[in-house]
Amino acid sequence: MPLVTRRQLLHGGLGTAALGLLSACATPGTHSVNTAPTIASTTGEKITIEYWSWLKDLQVVADIWNAANPNVQVKTVWIPSGNQGGYPKLYSALAAGGGPDLAQVEFGVIPSFMMVNGLVDISRYGAAEFAGRYDKNLWNQVSFAGGVYGIPQDSGPMATYYQSELFAKVGATAPATWDEWADVAAELRKAKTYIDCFPLSDAAVFTAFAAQAGASWFRADEDGWVINMSDEATLEVARFFDKAIDKDLVQTGFTPFSPGWFAAAGKGEIATLTSASWADALIAGISGGAGKWQVADMPRWSSGGYGSSYQGGSTVGVMANSKHPREALEFAAWLTSTQEGIDAEIEHCGIGWSPAPEIIGTPRTQPSDFFSGQNYNQDIFAPAALEQNTQWSWWPSQQQSFNILSDGFRQKASGTTLVDAVVAAEEKIMTVFKNSGLSIRKESA
Amino acid sequence: MTTQLTKPVTKPAAKPSAKVHKPGTKKSTTIVVTGILVVAALYFLAPVYWVLVASTKSTADLFSTNGFAFAANFNLWNNLSQVLSYDNGIFVRWFLNSILYAGIGALLATYIAAAGGYALAKYQFRGNNLVFGIILGGVLVPGTATALPLFLLFSQMGLANTYWSVLLPSLVSPFGLFLCRIYAQATVDPALLEAARLDGAGEIRIFHTVGLRVLTPALVTVFLFQLVGVWNNYFLPLVMLSDTKLYPVTLGLNTWLSQVNRLPEFYQLTTGGVLLSIIPLAIAMVVLQRFWRGGLTEGSVK
Amino acid sequence: MSITTPQRESRPAADRRGGTRRVSAVTRAPWLLLAPFLALFLLTFILPIIVAVISSFTKVTRGGLFGETGVTSKFAGFSNYAQALADGNFVASMGRMLLFGVVQVPVMIVLATILALLLEAASARWPGFFRAAFFLPYGVPGVIATILWSFLYVPGLSPLIDIAGWFGLSPDFLGPSAVLWSIANIVTWSYTGYNMLIIIAQLKAIPTEVYEAAKVDGASPVRVAWTIQLPLIRPALVLTTIFSIIGTLQLFAEPQVLQTVSPAIDSQYTPNLSAYTTAFAYNDYNVAAAQAVLIAVVAFTLSFAFLAFSNRKSS
Repeated sequence: MPLVTRRQLLHGGLGTAALGLLSACATPGTHSVNTAPTIASTTGEKITIEYWSWLKDLQVVADIWNAANPNVQVKTVWIPSGNQGGYPKLYSALAAGGGPDLAQVEFGVIPSFMMVNGLVDISRYGAAEFAGRYDKNLWNQVSFAGGVYGIPQDSGPMATYYQSELFAKVGATAPATWDEWADVAAELRKAKTYIDCFPLSDAAVFTAFAAQAGASWFRADEDGWVINMSDEATLEVARFFDKAIDKDLVQTGFTPFSPGWFAAAGKGEIATLTSASWADALIAGISGGAGKWQVADMPRWSSGGYGSSYQGGSTVGVMANSKHPREALEFAAWLTSTQEGIDAEIEHCGIGWSPAPEIIGTPRTQPSDFFSGQNYNQDIFAPAALEQNTQWSWWPSQQQSFNILSDGFRQKASGTTLVDAVVAAEEKIMTVFKNSGLSIRKESA
Repeated sequence: MTTQLTKPVTKPAAKPSAKVHKPGTKKSTTIVVTGILVVAALYFLAPVYWVLVASTKSTADLFSTNGFAFAANFNLWNNLSQVLSYDNGIFVRWFLNSILYAGIGALLATYIAAAGGYALAKYQFRGNNLVFGIILGGVLVPGTATALPLFLLFSQMGLANTYWSVLLPSLVSPFGLFLCRIYAQATVDPALLEAARLDGAGEIRIFHTVGLRVLTPALVTVFLFQLVGVWNNYFLPLVMLSDTKLYPVTLGLNTWLSQVNRLPEFYQLTTGGVLLSIIPLAIAMVVLQRFWRGGLTEGSVK
Repeated sequence: MSITTPQRESRPAADRRGGTRRVSAVTRAPWLLLAPFLALFLLTFILPIIVAVISSFTKVTRGGLFGETGVTSKFAGFSNYAQALADGNFVASMGRMLLFGVVQVPVMIVLATILALLLEAASARWPGFFRAAFFLPYGVPGVIATILWSFLYVPGLSPLIDIAGWFGLSPDFLGPSAVLWSIANIVTWSYTGYNMLIIIAQLKAIPTEVYEAAKVDGASPVRVAWTIQLPLIRPALVLTTIFSIIGTLQLFAEPQVLQTVSPAIDSQYTPNLSAYTTAFAYNDYNVAAAQAVLIAVVAFTLSFAFLAFSNRKSS
């Protein structure tokens, strides 16, 4: 008899435990830290701040800060870069109620992290006092809905890297417009060389071109999001590369920085790369490339637009579960906007373009041997950083949007066009917004 | 060698099990059969051979020389010391983690499955069939389908991103229980249990003294099955763990591989790490494969 | 896979002794023995399944541009399932795995059976070496096997492409049409030896007398294999096929790792990859839960369908 009661007890106990667990098991990321009271900064006691980033050797830079700030020690943790595993790790850590104080977050995914309440609104911790140090355009890209959700860390102003010998062989100079670019491409094709890749699997490149042409895909309105992906600027870019692919002017078999690309670039089968400032270090890894490469301004679109665009670029976000948001913010500002921090990040981490217009970083003021003695950072990228689309702003579910776009682009091989893909993607992205409970409408013409 | 060559004639007779029956082997058949087996062996061993070769090369040689041929420059020790020293020897840590997850996980899982399977096979009680049916259903649920919700659950319990988050799920082997039940039904003699009872032994004690001993061949199989299963698991740790220090070797090597595009020196770390992680398993497989049969099919033959 | 009913030896034994303490001990013992398993099974199987089912019926709506003015969860009926099934990529990934399974599973099982029969044939030389060689890949984790093979697939690194080049071929292992079969090759490489070993275990269990009878009849080795060995190893074949079907639906590590070198693999290439992406890249845990439930249902259905099919054929 006592056995029965014991078993019942056991069942009852397990049942209650299970129910308790289940009721606690709400969908992660539905609780906001930005409506809670702010956390006061510590006084005197020693704290440790954790920074998750995919920059290599970042701890060396953090140790410079650590030496000067014995009470606020920074520990860096390496994560795989963004979509290759870093973000899933951050999201799952956030869902589990943990995660670091700081994390490297690309500009484009800030809204996605905001959607899961993963970022602290640092305007509540005095971010405004640092605003003046940063490029205005970049500061706009971290400001949403009256708050600030990240400190710009680096950006990727774009230009065109080209192999001058290959150009000389067909009698070409660096193209000033995309139409000239297409002409040079046709000439190079006769010499069995592709001018560049067009990555069908990575929509970020297409997006950067569209932004350069003057597109502005999303804007926030009072009644919700407004989408405009099928505007004339975007369609012009889509039509242009549709034609380039149809005429076999660009390589679509592999993407930049893949082993196949390194091999082809080394053999002179790829003549140029239109990409961000941070691509210089990767190009320097092409075997036998020293002295063969130069940098020129990005070609312009005939209809107008801007002289350059951004590709990549990241911010330092203060994460929702941080116990020391103010101290974390101070470190982030030191890292990204002081001569000491920027120089060290360039030297040890190979960081992208400085977000502080006043300080491009000492190592970047020297001419480069690899790039044929050109002082390309000051001559090309510094001006390019100022030639940006100021209307561009990022939106939630950017990664999903990019995946939708590149899924469409992959169909190019089976006969559809980039134009079709863009138009179809716009519809699908609107569905994604609605499914995640956001309101969105098409820009009225 | 000459003595070896004359021997095969008598060899089949030396193995009494399945081979005595066969008609006298013709030389041509032997050649054809062995030929097929050699081709198959080439297929199964070629990638392993490739990584052996690749791990002796520098990054430059890796891309410039034929993958199946050794390069002039022998770089193996340099590569391996890099693998072992990179990031304060994180690779060693990953390896020990794998051993912890797989070793402890499989050991306990085997014991727990044995107890459960034995109970279901040797006792008649209310709910026996129901319990067994539910567990059998567990065999058919893809492990990855439960990993996601398990992550949400563990997050709430504060277990995500801890050793427990990988270890606890590794302790459950519905398939192991299934095997143990079948094996216990077929081999544990009721008379033995009854004799033990007459000696006054308690039920739990009988399981430990009589049950486990008779079940041993099946236990070895369950243990190996679970060991490899946990060792190979990727999805669960990927979902559960965000701290690199808790990674098993599979997850760790993949983070290295994901960096090769940006930092080509990771090719050397990855190939070296792959080689190091394969060696112990290869030895284990070769040594242990002979034990890999007890219980796997005993129950289903009938 | 035959499931026999539990034997009833312990109850009469206890009755014969008659002691009530004995009876209660015998009644309690199985639950004590089962307790650790059941507790963990509850925690790692039953509860997650309940969590998945509940969250698959929940939906989140957000106020403001990012949900900054409030987030609410509510019962959503089947809308997450509808959304999962309306997602062309997820449905395509299911179709892709069915195609994969229909081709790869039979190829692997046939290969494993042939190798097992050859190794067990009296005419095989060095069976111990070959068995170990074939089984070795099973000890290589899927991730590492994929890293290995990816090096053999990548242009510029792969000796296979170099060798094919001597014959004027330029295979593209990672292209959109070939990459599925490149993955199939990795899976076949990994698991053939393991399946072979299960089959060998069953072959060894065939009584010698059966072969003696065949020998008296003068049956050829091929005939012995076809008429005696194959029917007798049916249970092992059923077992390995079911595991392979479940394995196919679980496919994750191989495409995820190969993604880094093959642009043709999108982030929803397999059902599992799709669920993972939806949860951890798109942060839609509810739709991801619906996808996980759908994957489990399909795995169940396929396994039972195959079991029913093979039982019907045998009777």
